[in-house]
Amino acid sequence: MLTIIGATLRGIFRDRVFKGIMVLALLFLFIPATASLSMRQVTELSITLSLSLISFILFLLAVFLGATSLWKDMERRYTFSVLSLPVSRCTYLLGRFFGIALFLVMTTSFLGVVASLVIKVSSDMYPPDRPIIWSILFVSLLFTTLKYILVVGVAVLLSTVSTSFFLPIFGTICMFFASGITQQVYEYVTSQATINDTALVKPAVSLVYYLLPNLSSFDLKVNAIYGILPSIEGLGLTLAYFISYTAIIMGFATLIFNYREMK
Amino acid sequence: MKINISFTMIFIGLLIYGLLIGPFTQYMRNKPIEEKLGYVPSIRILKPMSADQKELVGVSLILKVMMYYGGQIGQVQKQATITESPDLQGMSRLLHGAVQLDPYNMDAYYFAQGFLTWDARQYKIANDLLEYGMKYRTWDWQLPYFAGFNNAFFLKDYKMAAEHYKKAGELSGYDLLIKLAGRYFAESGQTEMAISYLSGMVKTAKNNSIKQAYETRLKAFIEVRKIELARDTFIRSGAGGVLTIDTLMNSGYLNSAPIDPYGGKFYLESDGKVSTTSKFAFSAIK
Repeated sequence: MLTIIGATLRGIFRDRVFKGIMVLALLFLFIPATASLSMRQVTELSITLSLSLISFILFLLAVFLGATSLWKDMERRYTFSVLSLPVSRCTYLLGRFFGIALFLVMTTSFLGVVASLVIKVSSDMYPPDRPIIWSILFVSLLFTTLKYILVVGVAVLLSTVSTSFFLPIFGTICMFFASGITQQVYEYVTSQATINDTALVKPAVSLVYYLLPNLSSFDLKVNAIYGILPSIEGLGLTLAYFISYTAIIMGFATLIFNYREMK
Repeated sequence: MKINISFTMIFIGLLIYGLLIGPFTQYMRNKPIEEKLGYVPSIRILKPMSADQKELVGVSLILKVMMYYGGQIGQVQKQATITESPDLQGMSRLLHGAVQLDPYNMDAYYFAQGFLTWDARQYKIANDLLEYGMKYRTWDWQLPYFAGFNNAFFLKDYKMAAEHYKKAGELSGYDLLIKLAGRYFAESGQTEMAISYLSGMVKTAKNNSIKQAYETRLKAFIEVRKIELARDTFIRSGAGGVLTIDTLMNSGYLNSAPIDPYGGKFYLESDGKVSTTSKFAFSAIK
C-alpha cells in the first residue's frame, strides 16, 4: 500500500490541476493589504481571509483529485497494470485514498505556515484587542483537513460506481453544499413549529440527515478568528464521527470496487 | 495569414476597448444607488449558499457597504452638498445580513451604529443590533459603550444608559466609564458628552472616510458648544432682547460667526436650543 501512496503523491505533484490550484495560494500575498480595510478587526479579518482561502484550496483539491484519480487511472489503463501485480483492489483503492489524504495534510501544513506568517504580519501592523490563540487556529486547520479528507472519501466512493468523472465531481459538490444545510433543515423539521406537518417529511429528512456527512461540525473558523475556546467534548465527538463515517464510506467503496467489472 | 488575423483582432479589440473604457467607467460610476449596493438574496438563501464560507460572505457584505458609503462621503467632501441621500435602509439591510452570517464581526456593529444613529436616526434599531452583538461578543466593552451613549444622548433613557455604561466599565475595567454611568443620569452636558464621544471615535477610526465623517460631526458639535456657552453667559448676565446668534455676536459673547461644517446655518430655537438648517447632515441641504 505504501508504494501506491507514494505513487499517488508523485502523480499529484506532477499534475497540472494541482499546480493550477496552488497558484491560488499567491492570493495570500494580498491578505495583509485587504485586511487593513477593516475598521475594527484587522487581525480577525486576516484570519478570516486566510482560513477561507485554505478551505477553498482544499475544497478544489479534494473534489478534483478525489473525483478524477480513479477515472484517470482507468482512462490510462494504469489500473489494469497495477492490478496485474500482486495487489488487491482493496489495497489499491485505499492506497489512492490515503495518498490523497496525506497530500491534503501536507498542503494544509504548508498553507498553515504561510497563513501564520500573514496573520503575524497583520497583527504586528494592527495589534488586535484580543490576543490570537494559535492553538485554536491550528485545531481549526486540523478539522478543516479532516473535513476535506471525508469529502475525498465521498468522491472516491462515487468514482467506484461511475465510469466518467461527471458523477464524482458534481455529486461531491452537491453533497458538499447539501451537507452544510442538513443540520438546519433537520432542526427545522423536527422542531415544534412543524409538528403537524405531513408524516412523510420527517422520516425522509431524518434519513437524508443521517445519510449525508455533517460537515458543519468540522467548521471551527469562528473559534479561530475570535479566540473562542471550542467544546472539547464536541471535538472528540466530531473526531469519532470522522473516523466512523470515513470507515463506512471507504468500506462501501472497496466493496463496490471489488465487484466492479473492468473492461 | 493566421498571425495577421490575430494581430488584426487584437488591434480592433484594443481600439474598441480604448474608446469604450471612458464612457463605461462613467456609466458604472453613475449607476443608481440601488444598483450599486446591489440585490442581495434573503439571508435564508445566502446562509446555506455560503457553505463553510459564511464569515467571508459576511465580510464581503460589510466591505460592500463601506466602499459605497466611502464613495458617498467622498462626493460630499468634493461638492459640499449632495443631491441624493445614501441608501441607509439598504446599508442597514446588508449589515443586518452580515451579522447573521457572522454574529461576532465587530466592523458590522461599529459601522451600523454609526450611521443608524447619526444619519438614519434609527436609535432603537441601532440598539437592538448592539444588544444582538452583546449576546455573542460577551468580552467586548465597546458594544455596551455605544448602546449607553445612544440611550443617553438620543433616546434620553438615562436608566438604560447607566446600565450599559456600568457593563462597559465592568468589562473594560475603565473607571471613566463607570463614572459616566453616573453622569448620564443628569440631563445636562449633552453636547459635551457628544464631543467627548466623537473625539474618541475620531482617535480610534482607521478608515479615512469614517474618520472624516466623525471629524465633521465633531467640528459641528464644538461650534454648538461655543454657542451654548455664549447663550448661557448671555442669560446669566440678565441682558434683555431677543435671543439669536446675531444678538450673541453683537453683545460680544460670541467672538466670530459659528460655521456649520455641513454647510447649514446655526440658529437658536424659541426654547434656547441650538439648531442648524443642515440638521447635521449634508443631505438635508439641497
